[in-house]
Amino acid sequence: MSKIVRTVANQLILFIFIFGLYIIIHGHITPGGGFQGGAVIASGAALMIVAFGSSRIQKGIKEKHLSILESSGAVIFIGLAFAGLAAAGVFFFNTLIGSPVFGHTPPTGPNPGDIWTGGIIPLMNVAVGLKVFAGLSAIILVMALASSGEEVEE
Amino acid sequence: MLEIAALHIIVPVLLIVCAVFVARAKDLINAVLFLAAFSLLLSLEFYLLQAPDVAIAEAAIGAAITTAIFVVAIRATKREEE
Amino acid sequence: MRNFVASLFLGIAIVFLVSSALLVHPFGEPPAPMDDYIIQNAQAETGANNVVAAVLFDYRGFDTLGEATILFTAVTGVVMLFRKKETAEK
Repeated sequence: MSKIVRTVANQLILFIFIFGLYIIIHGHITPGGGFQGGAVIASGAALMIVAFGSSRIQKGIKEKHLSILESSGAVIFIGLAFAGLAAAGVFFFNTLIGSPVFGHTPPTGPNPGDIWTGGIIPLMNVAVGLKVFAGLSAIILVMALASSGEEVEE
Repeated sequence: MLEIAALHIIVPVLLIVCAVFVARAKDLINAVLFLAAFSLLLSLEFYLLQAPDVAIAEAAIGAAITTAIFVVAIRATKREEE
Repeated sequence: MRNFVASLFLGIAIVFLVSSALLVHPFGEPPAPMDDYIIQNAQAETGANNVVAAVLFDYRGFDTLGEATILFTAVTGVVMLFRKKETAEK
């Protein structure tokens, strides 16, 4: 891509990543969540791949590393579900309610919101966000790599 | 409230117009761009129907990632429809 | 004959779509008592202000597990397909 596109992508990528992280971390108090924030971060990664070319991106991060990130997100998600099974005997039980970590309970009805609420929901949001970001980025990176070799001259 | 009621009519009409353009475009890049516009209008419609979660997901997946995947696929094949 | 069958199926589909559009419940009024239960108790039981997140990750955790499995399978399939092509060229 041209120099203009690369410069604008360089300036814009930080804001896209921070917005995606905000959606993931505030997933239990504002609209959004792991899937939406991961998709926003993956669209930022798609912008980088389109602007800089897949071969340059591949020098920094390979799809093998993205696969490892995705699998670790899935393992964290299932591990949290099994933590509920171990603590209370119910799969997906919210074990952290009442504990000092993410354990506060908000009053019913509209309220200003507190980041230390939700039990295991914020941790599951982070796990699902990691998984969705790594998965979608791996798909786009692999497809761009496979199609860059046979580019048609225009 | 009248403006919201008007948007509930205008946005679906624009959605149908975008869908017709997607189906009738000969240049596949044009079709993909109309599909991105369709996804953005669809996320606006979700927001009007008070589903901001689905609106964020639709804007990110439909307008950004699907467009990137389609453009990559078109680059590897032919640009014009036969 | 084929035209007749196709138009019959098209007519059935149109009747289904129009009737379901007429039978949909009014905007903002949930049809089942389960929705009222979740809206009243989700904040006290799960501690999350976002009731959608509470339903996705606590009440209906198995759905999210299935979604994660679908995404994992899709990524595995795409990576397998394109990596095989890459090694075959070398």
